[in-house]
Amino acid sequence: MKKYFLVLIAVLVPLLTFAYTSPGSPQGFVNDFAHILTSVEKSDLEAKLVALKSSTSAEVSVVTVPSLGNETVETYATKLFEEWGIGGKEKDTGILLLVAPTEREVRIEVGYGLEGAVTDLQSGNIIRKVITPAFKEGKYGEGISGAVEALSAIIKNSPEAEQYSKTSPTFDFQLAPLFFIGIFLLNIFTRVLGKTKSWWLGGVIGAAIGGIIGFVWGFLFAGIIGIGIFTILGLVFDFVVSKRPPGSSGPGGFWPMFLGGGGRGGRGGGFGGFGGGMSGGGGASGRW
Amino acid sequence: MKKGWIIAIVIVVLLVIYGLTSYNGLVTSKEVATAQWQQVETQYQRRFDLIPSLVESVKGAMSQEKGVFTAIADARTRYAGATTVNDKATAATQVESAFARLLVVMENYPTLKSIETVQNLMTQIEGTENRIATERQRFNEKVQSYNLGVKRFPRSIVASMFGFDPLSYFEAQTGAENAPKVNLTQ
Repeated sequence: MKKYFLVLIAVLVPLLTFAYTSPGSPQGFVNDFAHILTSVEKSDLEAKLVALKSSTSAEVSVVTVPSLGNETVETYATKLFEEWGIGGKEKDTGILLLVAPTEREVRIEVGYGLEGAVTDLQSGNIIRKVITPAFKEGKYGEGISGAVEALSAIIKNSPEAEQYSKTSPTFDFQLAPLFFIGIFLLNIFTRVLGKTKSWWLGGVIGAAIGGIIGFVWGFLFAGIIGIGIFTILGLVFDFVVSKRPPGSSGPGGFWPMFLGGGGRGGRGGGFGGFGGGMSGGGGASGRW
Repeated sequence: MKKGWIIAIVIVVLLVIYGLTSYNGLVTSKEVATAQWQQVETQYQRRFDLIPSLVESVKGAMSQEKGVFTAIADARTRYAGATTVNDKATAATQVESAFARLLVVMENYPTLKSIETVQNLMTQIEGTENRIATERQRFNEKVQSYNLGVKRFPRSIVASMFGFDPLSYFEAQTGAENAPKVNLTQ
């Protein structure tokens, strides 16, 4: 049965994502999936882009792909931009420089937040005057680094540059710590509630948690729903742990699989990923 | 007897909660789709602001191609007069096809393409076309998720109770979904 289910997923997933296939996850600002850059060029570009990010908070990503699949360079760039979320989530200050050497196509895709600073005309000029002349001679590294320099200069000199660097304190919602705090609380509740044979206390605690959530959220509606849901959850939880007090199910208590669970799987290369930005098809494309 | 009442009340409360969340969900996804349509219109406006400049700068050199320019002007007037989403979409498609014809005709005037102003305008228009395509595709995605909410059982009951009708997709005319391609790099 499980096998059929897996087969079904294997059949359905490609259907959902039909034409666009992701080149992979970002390993940094420079992602040379098509292997057209030397390692020196790559680290050089990466350093430039890290510096640009720290001075202007604009995220410029250079990506080369071996194939665009059935997509045009424009749609591919927009989808990749959205998938990776280049640029900050609120300001969308990201740029994607996409190079497809097989199709001999290149695109500068500009995020919503930078459309005012980097116009289509400027992107077009960079492609026409910097990128394509170098690419025609096979000098990919030269063309890309020239384009990155031109883009950095535009971003730094734009009247809005100042406002880009003033990032509003972003509420970085880290899931992992929350998860561990949740498990920790769950563990305490398990021990306390498991000791009492009754199971109404869980309902009371649930209702209290629901009430707090409603209060924090500031909606009467959320409070009511919260109380309802958490009362039921608390009751069920208390009922379950009261049936099985920790210790009775062997060493390690009731939640050993969570607490003793494996280490955290971090992203490779120390790159934290992009900020969740979007683009709306701004920028320019060219061929060489 | 007493137990029966409690069960009935619980069921009613759950139903009301379901109704409320469904209603709010529908309102949200409809708003999202409408907002996305505004994005499409913003890009249309941008295109209409750019086209006259291009027309002006090429008109002199293309004096014998009057038909194309009249077609563009007519379509623009029609768009300006359109009020509903559907009318606007139709008029916008007409502008698109008239404009695509201009681009084809322009191919016969290689000297035009080497003029810097024309080249720049073309880059801008190209960019706008791509933006339109992007926002339009996103509009269709938003409409799709809203329509699914309206049509799927059991949410469809809530939807029909409060009069949520499915929205219509933006359907480009065959061939018009591709932005007119301009190639100035060669």
